[in-house]
Amino acid sequence: MTDAPAGITIAGLSKTFGAGGRAVEALRDVSLICPPGSFTALIGPSGCGKSTILRASLGLEPVDAGRVKIGGLAPAAATRAGLTGVAFQDAALLPWRSVAANVALPLEVLGRPVGAAKGRIRDLIALVGLKGREDALPGELSGGMRQRVAIARALVSEPKVLFLDEPFGALDQILRRQMNIELQRIWAETGVTTLLVTHGIDEAVFLADRVAVMQAGPGRIVEVVEIPLPRPRDPALFSDPAFHHLCDRIATLLHAGAAHGA
Amino acid sequence: MVHNLRRLWPFLALLVLWEVAGQFQLVAGGALPALSDIAVRFWADRADYPGHVQATLVASGAGFVIGNAVAVAAGLLFTLVPVTARVARGLNIAIFALPPIAIAPILALTLDGMAPRIVLAALGVYFVTMQATVTGLSQFDSRAGDLVRAYGGGRGAVMRFVQVRGALPAILSGFRVAAPNAVLGAILAEFGGGGRWGLGTYLLGSLGRGEPARLWGIGLTATLIAGLSYAVFALISARTLGSTRAVSLNPAVPAGGDAERGKWLVTLASFLLPFAVWWGFLWVLQVPAMLGKTPYDIVQYLFIGPGAAAAQGKLLAALAETIPITLVGMAAGLAFAFALAVSSQLVPAFTRAFLPVALITQTMPLVALTPLLVLMLGRGSAVTLWITVSVTFFPAYVMIAQGLSQVPRAALELPRAYGASAWRQLRLVAIPASLPWFFAAARLTAPRALLGVMIAEWLATGRGLGNLLNQSRGYMDFGMIWAVAVTSVVVSVAFYQVALLIEQRVLRRTVAQRDD
Repeated sequence: MTDAPAGITIAGLSKTFGAGGRAVEALRDVSLICPPGSFTALIGPSGCGKSTILRASLGLEPVDAGRVKIGGLAPAAATRAGLTGVAFQDAALLPWRSVAANVALPLEVLGRPVGAAKGRIRDLIALVGLKGREDALPGELSGGMRQRVAIARALVSEPKVLFLDEPFGALDQILRRQMNIELQRIWAETGVTTLLVTHGIDEAVFLADRVAVMQAGPGRIVEVVEIPLPRPRDPALFSDPAFHHLCDRIATLLHAGAAHGA
Repeated sequence: MVHNLRRLWPFLALLVLWEVAGQFQLVAGGALPALSDIAVRFWADRADYPGHVQATLVASGAGFVIGNAVAVAAGLLFTLVPVTARVARGLNIAIFALPPIAIAPILALTLDGMAPRIVLAALGVYFVTMQATVTGLSQFDSRAGDLVRAYGGGRGAVMRFVQVRGALPAILSGFRVAAPNAVLGAILAEFGGGGRWGLGTYLLGSLGRGEPARLWGIGLTATLIAGLSYAVFALISARTLGSTRAVSLNPAVPAGGDAERGKWLVTLASFLLPFAVWWGFLWVLQVPAMLGKTPYDIVQYLFIGPGAAAAQGKLLAALAETIPITLVGMAAGLAFAFALAVSSQLVPAFTRAFLPVALITQTMPLVALTPLLVLMLGRGSAVTLWITVSVTFFPAYVMIAQGLSQVPRAALELPRAYGASAWRQLRLVAIPASLPWFFAAARLTAPRALLGVMIAEWLATGRGLGNLLNQSRGYMDFGMIWAVAVTSVVVSVAFYQVALLIEQRVLRRTVAQRDD
């Protein structure tokens, strides 16, 4: 990582799905700034549009109004330049590619040489704890392992900005904690600007510098909660009163929305 | 192993039954020879087979390769540029629905040597593989597609990294289903086109001799080739993909078309394209006007020319004979298949035993089956009806049974859990669940039913369109040959469209009810 990491600027995003009587307002005037090198969590109930924000940031979803800048570039230009890395809730590995070949996929799409990156691919696979499984096929791995391959894949292009869409959503609680600790370590080592979409309150508080809390109908950010806990954070934090205090605050914000929405 | 043996039981029982029936001449006074007699005859004829088998293999092999290459390329094009799929829709349906026997004489008129056989084999392959390719390419993992796009990859990158490899199982299964079609196409062209070698020629030459054992030998050889070609691709896809997906006709309902700008233009183009291809074919090959008839020539022949009234009369009389029996046979076959599939829900063991036998029967090329049925049933309408029923029944049964097997067990058993009777359970779950498959079967088997009727008419009954085609060949009435071919394609496409319309109507209603 020679260059400084780039930040994310989201300004006034609005999006409506469908039209006429069936129109659903997914996002209303959503703005969020993630400074370079920061870790931001986006939390909210299902259907609040948090994944839509992430998809719009990657240029996967057109929006009705507003814009996203990544390191000063529009999403399409930023992704094509290889500034971004992404992992979705589902690992979405190609079943016919080995672990190493799956990790290499972003390089191939970006048109970068894969041969020169052999060493880094091996290191990344080791970083997510899959050393020795380089040639395994996705079908031979457990769900947790596949998700870790997806994390390695998200990092292979040496991104300045990392988008994570509930990457551990399908894992059990124990594995999830483990992955949270690993993700924190990876983030600290690479210094990559990270936007994590999640519906796990403790996950958000444990990992993030700031938690943006969303409510549904229409999807909007109601508050950005600063998480002033010192780093590095270790598992003991999960039983810290300060940690719980922050979790409770976010839960209260979420429930307020649920009460209104219902 | 034990499991496999148990699955073989129905076969063994059938073979024993066959031998006994043959030995004691139980069926139609010896028209069904014993297996051992067929084997003896086969041995006596062994010098004849290599040349015929080789000719059929070469033609069907070449047609298979060419047809599949075109089909995969077309599938890629249709997926990448969807408007081409809509424009080519008419042509695709025409190719799917055209009775090969009707255009075999035309190909024999306009092409030389092996070309008619190769073209007919390729036509038999094209639709199945094209559709499998389109299905495979469009049913990719959208999340993997998102991933590629998230790195700035465009349509081409998604196609290259995700869709092509992902479609491979579907394409291979397309090859598997298409392989027997290539054999059928080649044999039909041999039938309608003359020439010295080929199993079709051999069959035709042996037809008049009243030697059941030889006809059966040829029929079984053709079945074996078709079955082996299927098995080879089943093996390849199992080896390379580990996929064991059961394969039959693809029941997906083609989209009814969306309201969009230029829709009527696309529809018009789709309607005109088959005629353009027809015209282009004659023009490119520089077919002499006496042999090759353009669409305009056909209009002239049937409506304007001096002999138009007589030609029209002959054609209408033939249609009046062919269409009713096709519809009656189809209706009987579908009803029978539906009843059996739904009721076999109650007796699953029966389905397991019956399905393999049904699939084998399907592999037997129609053109080889017909003479055998003629031997057993004589030359009356019974044989036509029987062929239509069998042609419709087996695919329909397989499809409906497969459709039912996709209904979750829990859904089937839910009424039972509330104490419903077996009949009530059928009425509430099994019958509604199998309806879509019933209509899909009707749509997909209609062209085959017409083909079966025409083959029977040509070979056996001397009635209807098939006979008119055969006679016109004898009289060198080229106008009539073309007129019959075009008419039979139009009738076949009409059957398909009507079945499709009913299917979409009915399915839309059930969906709407669910929405309420």
